[in-house]
Amino acid sequence: MAGFLYMSDLNAAVSPTVGSSSLTYAIVVRCGPHQQSQALSAFQFTKEVLLQGHEVLRVFFYQQGVHIASRLRVVPQDELNLAVLWQQLSLDYDLELGVCIAAALQSGIVDQQEASRYELGSDSLASQFTLVGLGQLAAASAECNRLVSFGGN
Amino acid sequence: MSCLMTLSHAPYGSQDAKESLDVALVLSAFEQQPAVLFLDEGVLQLLPTSQTPSSHKHIGKIVSALEMYDINELWVEQESLDRFSLVADQLSQTVNVIARGQVAQLCAQYDQHLVF
Repeated sequence: MAGFLYMSDLNAAVSPTVGSSSLTYAIVVRCGPHQQSQALSAFQFTKEVLLQGHEVLRVFFYQQGVHIASRLRVVPQDELNLAVLWQQLSLDYDLELGVCIAAALQSGIVDQQEASRYELGSDSLASQFTLVGLGQLAAASAECNRLVSFGGN
Repeated sequence: MSCLMTLSHAPYGSQDAKESLDVALVLSAFEQQPAVLFLDEGVLQLLPTSQTPSSHKHIGKIVSALEMYDINELWVEQESLDRFSLVADQLSQTVNVIARGQVAQLCAQYDQHLVF
């Protein structure tokens, strides 16, 4: 019986889409808020994936993308505030927004714990975002059916 | 899940090379050793250099750590080498040289392709 279960697990790994059209995604955002159209594409793609009933394991913000997670940016009223868009999506779909901690610390994006650890006087990470290690990107890439990355060039 | 990483950034001048190599090492630490393709200015990451600009980590040291992390499948695009008048023997690592025309075929062999 154990062997049988093992075999069925193998089949599932080879063809994850059999019996269901739903896929598991991991999203990497490497473009910052200054690359507005690229950064917006990442958001719109993720939203569409969720709307179509797929699962998003995690959105991982890396390189310039970490700046999206700052709660200290002031966006002109007629421009889109990407942090707010992501926050709302996170609330609506219980979506995990992971920010690379090494890149974030270098960019002045810190949560309360890091702010007190380094005696910075203030935190700057927007709510719904969490600081995580680069390993969370590797873990997501291992688990997902599709890894989609935005920006970086 | 097999993964190919394309690294196309020059070693210094920005954090891009360092940050992309970090991803390679972390993937390996999570038992997903990627194959790595050095493209365009990315081939310069493979040049043996003793000195680095201040404020930059030594990219050569990270590149030589790839082997320790069991990342042994390294590819370099021939046309990128030509652009800098380099030959594979001058590089710090043992690499497979691949022609531009074959790169698409290489990419197709992997489940994932991370482009930096």
